[in-house]
Amino acid sequence: MNFSSNSNVLIQGITDPLGRIYAPRMQKYGTRIVAGVDPGQGGQIIQGIAVYDMVEQAIAQVGTIDITVLFVPPYAVLDAALEAITAGIRQLVIITEGVPPLDMVHLLRQAEATETLVIGPNAPGLIIPGQLLLGIHPPLFYQPGSVGIVSRSSTLTYEIAWELTQAGLGQSMVIGIGSDRIVGSSFQQWLQILEEDDRTEVIVLIGEIGGDSEEMAAQYVSEVIDKPVVAYLAGRTAPKGQSMGHAGAIIASLIADMGTDIGTAESKLAAFKQAKIPVVNRPSQVPDWIKKVSNKINKG
Amino acid sequence: MELLEYQAKELFRQMGIPVLPSQRIYQPRDLRSLTVPYPIALKSQVHTSRRGKAGGIRFVENTIDAMAVAQTIFHLPIQGNYPELLLAEAKYDAEHEFYLAVVLDSSSRRPVLLGSQYGGEDVEAHLDQMQQVIVEREFSPFYARRLALKMGVEGTLIQSVSAIVEKMYTLFIHYDLDLIEINPLGINVTGDLMALDGKVTINDAALGRHTGLGQLFPSLLSQSSLQTPSGGLNRVELEGNIGVLCNGAGLAMATLDLIHQAKGKPAGFVDVGGEYRQSGSRLSLQESLQHGLDWIQQVPEVTVILINLIGSTFSCLEVANAIADSWNTRVFANGSLVASPQLVVRLVGDDFALAQAHLSSLHVPVFDRLDDAIAYAIKLTI
Repeated sequence: MNFSSNSNVLIQGITDPLGRIYAPRMQKYGTRIVAGVDPGQGGQIIQGIAVYDMVEQAIAQVGTIDITVLFVPPYAVLDAALEAITAGIRQLVIITEGVPPLDMVHLLRQAEATETLVIGPNAPGLIIPGQLLLGIHPPLFYQPGSVGIVSRSSTLTYEIAWELTQAGLGQSMVIGIGSDRIVGSSFQQWLQILEEDDRTEVIVLIGEIGGDSEEMAAQYVSEVIDKPVVAYLAGRTAPKGQSMGHAGAIIASLIADMGTDIGTAESKLAAFKQAKIPVVNRPSQVPDWIKKVSNKINKG
Repeated sequence: MELLEYQAKELFRQMGIPVLPSQRIYQPRDLRSLTVPYPIALKSQVHTSRRGKAGGIRFVENTIDAMAVAQTIFHLPIQGNYPELLLAEAKYDAEHEFYLAVVLDSSSRRPVLLGSQYGGEDVEAHLDQMQQVIVEREFSPFYARRLALKMGVEGTLIQSVSAIVEKMYTLFIHYDLDLIEINPLGINVTGDLMALDGKVTINDAALGRHTGLGQLFPSLLSQSSLQTPSGGLNRVELEGNIGVLCNGAGLAMATLDLIHQAKGKPAGFVDVGGEYRQSGSRLSLQESLQHGLDWIQQVPEVTVILINLIGSTFSCLEVANAIADSWNTRVFANGSLVASPQLVVRLVGDDFALAQAHLSSLHVPVFDRLDDAIAYAIKLTI
């Protein structure tokens, strides 16, 4: 992982509606956007950013690119991502929602073979407050500090970051890994990154019902992570069997009638308990818990 | 989206997965022109499993019985669903019933092959016998043979079972499926295989690129437009009196949890998120809010609507203006004040104070802290 304010960043889909909105916002935040790509749109300049038809043309002009942020339409994501990987880019942030899952399977096979990190899809991306914005986090909600956040939900991430900021607790690095059923990077990968990050003192893990990523993250924390971790879990009172909007957040095994209870709030809370990870009941309790832990560490 | 059995079997037939001769029955008298020889099974075509136990699958020997049974099944709701058609299918004498499936596993981020020698209705009782093989790299038939061997299949059945799995996998990839299942796969005394029932779930996000499926089953298109009314706003109906409108599924779930914790009762939520959804129709903020409020107001029990929007591309003032516009047209419908739920708004972002001032003039309270907004909403319902 190599994310910093010195990273050279490409925007794929810069002339798509969201690319047009967010590329300038990222640039204003200090992200070094060196080029944009959109097939058939080459030659344009958008907010001072030169647009190319292909990734390789952009690289030929501006040199090495470290990160690409994708705003392209869902069915174009796989192709755009493979183009970026083939051109040598090893860090991808996919904002687009609704990428067909089998496209992600295909993409992730290539990503693993080339050791490429993929954030998303359906993700707000990554923010290092005060330094770097890769995606669509609203900067207003964040301030620099020492709390790391990793989350499956975008708006809930903003909610908890805002609570922290209001309480005077800044953030070191905040990652929304994405809300689709198949996403590139896992909780474990980011827990490891936050564990190694010098600025991060405490980690907030924001989970929700569905899937088994919280269960796996809990086990990973108990085995590997030494920094204090606090969890929040959304969807505890969600009705069973209902799709709650996020592709993963459905409490029903795909194979109906098999009676598995993986993905329920109960199985996740049990996993957190077993891993001795405290779970707060409300977003507003996250700052209280962190202040308590910080006091302990400081007195320590 | 889940296909009906007859639709799934149409795909099986195209792929060369063996299925029994069958005929669609739209009304009992269609049985007079039945070309499938008796005895037959009459199967209710509803999106529900356990049809057999509910009486939705019946075997009949002749036309008179068949018409009477068809009449019954057409009027038999299974978990509240009535069939639009029945499938009349030849009978098969199976010695064994296997289970086969291909699903997408979000942990390994790979397709997984599933199989068991205890299929049919036994599958739940023998979950410990369910074998799985993760398709790590590009598929090749050896993955299917690996599954057959893990299932304990021997001899010539290894090749015939794995050939079916291979065809299932081809369909899985070709149509962007979330799930393809054959349960049971019938095996008769001579070792012939037959897909006796099938389930196919197409990934909704990929539906748009499978126009061929829409031509094959025109009803699919109307279903998919039914499933995403109002341009794809996600909504869930519950039984309380506080309607919730949020701009994200995670935030919506958290808001419901908080209402429950405070002893309130949510009447359901509508998620007007999808700001970075680029396929399908994209609604403006105004339209999203209007559709969302329309839906919430249809729920008669709702006395309070809590709007909780955070981190959109819009400033608080823009959001407040959109809320005010759509609220005014409602409350002052036909030029006079109409009875309406009370609105509580929670916003965070630029121009918060301006938004608060604007909505306050319409007697709509605006909060920036979620806990405060929830406490206020609940107070209004007491």
